[in-house]
Amino acid sequence: MARQIRKVVVLGANGAMGAGSGEVFAAAGIETTFLARTRDKAIEGQKRAEKLAKSSAISRFIRTGSYEEDLARAVGEADLVFEAVSEDLALKRVYFEQVDKLRKPDSIVATVSSGLSIATMAAVGGASFARHFLGIHFFNPPNVIVGCELIPHAGTDPLVVADVTELLNERLGRELVRTSDTPAFCGNRVGFKVLNECAQLAEEHGAGYIDALVGPHTGRAMAPLATIDFVGWDVHQAIVDNVYAHTRDEAHAAFALPALMKAKIAAGCLGDKTPDKGGFFTKADKAKGAPKPEPPEVARKMKELHRVGRYQQAFDVFAEASGRDAELMRRVILGYVSYGLNRVGEVVEKVADVDRIMGFGFNWAPPGVLVDVIGARRTVKLLEAAKLPVPRPVVDAAERNQRLFDAAYVDVGRFFHG
Amino acid sequence: MTRPVYILGGYQTDFARNWTKEGKHISAMIREAVVGGLQATGVEPAEIEVGHVGNFAAELYAMQGHLGAFLVDVDPAFAGLPTGRHEAACASGSIALLAASAEIEAGRYDCALVVGVEQMKTVSPAQGGDFLGTAAWYEREAKGVEFPFPKLFGRLGDEYDRRYRLDDKHLARISAINYDNARRNPKAQTRTWYMNEAHARSCDSFNATIGGRIKVTDCSQVTDGGVAVILASEAFAKKWAARRATQLGAIPRLLGWGHRTAPLLFDDKVAESAGQPYVLPHTRQAIVDAYRRAGLADCWALDGIETHDCFTTSEYMAIDHFGLTAPGQSWKAVEEGVIALDGKLPINPSGGLIGCGHPVGATGVRQLLDAYLQTTGQAGAYQVDGAKKFATLNIGGSGTTSCVFVVGV
Repeated sequence: MARQIRKVVVLGANGAMGAGSGEVFAAAGIETTFLARTRDKAIEGQKRAEKLAKSSAISRFIRTGSYEEDLARAVGEADLVFEAVSEDLALKRVYFEQVDKLRKPDSIVATVSSGLSIATMAAVGGASFARHFLGIHFFNPPNVIVGCELIPHAGTDPLVVADVTELLNERLGRELVRTSDTPAFCGNRVGFKVLNECAQLAEEHGAGYIDALVGPHTGRAMAPLATIDFVGWDVHQAIVDNVYAHTRDEAHAAFALPALMKAKIAAGCLGDKTPDKGGFFTKADKAKGAPKPEPPEVARKMKELHRVGRYQQAFDVFAEASGRDAELMRRVILGYVSYGLNRVGEVVEKVADVDRIMGFGFNWAPPGVLVDVIGARRTVKLLEAAKLPVPRPVVDAAERNQRLFDAAYVDVGRFFHG
Repeated sequence: MTRPVYILGGYQTDFARNWTKEGKHISAMIREAVVGGLQATGVEPAEIEVGHVGNFAAELYAMQGHLGAFLVDVDPAFAGLPTGRHEAACASGSIALLAASAEIEAGRYDCALVVGVEQMKTVSPAQGGDFLGTAAWYEREAKGVEFPFPKLFGRLGDEYDRRYRLDDKHLARISAINYDNARRNPKAQTRTWYMNEAHARSCDSFNATIGGRIKVTDCSQVTDGGVAVILASEAFAKKWAARRATQLGAIPRLLGWGHRTAPLLFDDKVAESAGQPYVLPHTRQAIVDAYRRAGLADCWALDGIETHDCFTTSEYMAIDHFGLTAPGQSWKAVEEGVIALDGKLPINPSGGLIGCGHPVGATGVRQLLDAYLQTTGQAGAYQVDGAKKFATLNIGGSGTTSCVFVVGV
């Protein structure tokens, strides 16, 4: 019989991911204890959760406390211990060592870490701790973004994986993707490859031009460099440095942090969170009515067609336009399709997995949707022309004349912005 | 019905979308709904003989009229297609359906496309509330009033309270049921929103009063959305059934319809029904007309209802007007679980307007599409087991225009 998850404790519940994840558990009617360094900090997290839920009624399921006073009791009672403290292995280790001592023998321990090795963290505790340990990667803000990665390590008990899968799918309404315990898992690996490639291109072409060229008309709510500013340059650096150091794949060079970003980070420039210093764009650049660079012709044409719902024709323009702008746009977008679908078999099992995490975690047009709208046969030709690896699923779809994206209930038009 | 009118299926856009944020023109919504409808039914564009569009106020929200003409733009085979646009406030979609079905009954056409569409997230909530005021008698009931419609439907609740007593906990339960059902509907606007009965019963800055007894959780929300359905004559449906390897008898039909209009002013409605058992007698009459035309003795011949819950009070009204309880006793059906998804007569398995969303001119068409999905067993996680007959009630204004369909196989 599946274990009942009736009580959850969130460590680091005052932070954005801690409070957001706590909201998701409490919203499902699970008694959730928010812990932080002080009770006041935990209450800040609770208020944050109420604001996300737009309801004070959610607090019926929220308890608050401090590590000093409440850790032993709360961890001892919890069916799931959810760690969301800062992304620092030394700090996490301190908490995991205590959790290992205090937890019930059959309780599950999960981390929301978006980059650190799950196996390394699992090894902090004893054999039971390791067997019950896995990663649950929510995307921020988790009450809105339903995409979610589940990352067991080699030693995670399959029953734990099954129970957490059931919890996330059935009770928490997640679009769940299981990934391997590899750097940045699936969503961030594929997404930050594109983002960092754009940052590299910005050094040569300028940030305004790149965001106008591969902006929302190519299948995303927010343009790439504005996204890096929004995420924070420090977070961006942590993710790409980790992937660069620990992987060797066909796009390895795309994860090298551009020199200009490195220098500016050293000078304290972290994107939107340092508004005085800015990032790729300043506050003034983003202000309403601020002048924006004229989009390149190919981008303008695509936007006009998206505006009236002619997505297929917009991607005819994408595929057929000539010139430097079009070639650069194809390099980035087809590079995303190629890199994303090449992770099938390595990081995830199926095309649907990478499609789901990019669609519901990143709010980007999933690679499969792009292949369908471009046409599988034409995608193969374009990938070959751009000297990009042609992933097996695209070849198969072209040979069988099949569509790749399988979620019939999704309006794919929502990914393409006019 | 003089001649049968069949429903071949259709398509609903995801009601959680914000088409303004996507940078989309209303024609994109029409195109997605129509292309989706053609794909879902396998009807060829060249087979469509006439197009009807239901829309409330694109002139205000999107600075665009003449929406029928956008159908022609969807496919080259639609060149020259006769089209038109219909308006009756929130009942616009049903009026388009009535027009299309009348043409099929009259034998003018064999295959009609009906689209309901509304883009509402183009303006601020206050501006949108003012636009919606034109569905009332604007100068007398809405001009200078902030959010006139919650106030009008709050007064519907007050009238129930005066005649029969009304406990707001029953309104909270209605809201919670709609949100619960919406969680099962992958196209519903609120499918990921936090909601439960405790929240619906709370009253603070998160669930503020909008007008009278109406709080945020009593309201349907501002929604963008388009829906297309395809209606057909028996001759066309036979041909289509053979092509789809199905039986004519398995295709849902419009078994009956009702259509009545009450005085526009809410005060006049109340004055007219004073001393009568039903608060909105013309709405009741539209339901009775539809039952009669469909040959149904009462509501218990139905397997489910998709009703117009623009506010919880309108669903409360629908419960006794459909005859689930005696007049004034709707609370019994709420308390006894009759209207729940697994109840004796589920109401709004889709989540209704409160949960699924209310793109005003699209709602009537969305209700009919859901009735089609239910009676063909295609409603997925919000399917009412074994449903054979469903009714819809679509209301324009403060109970002014009432349109009812009975759909069945």
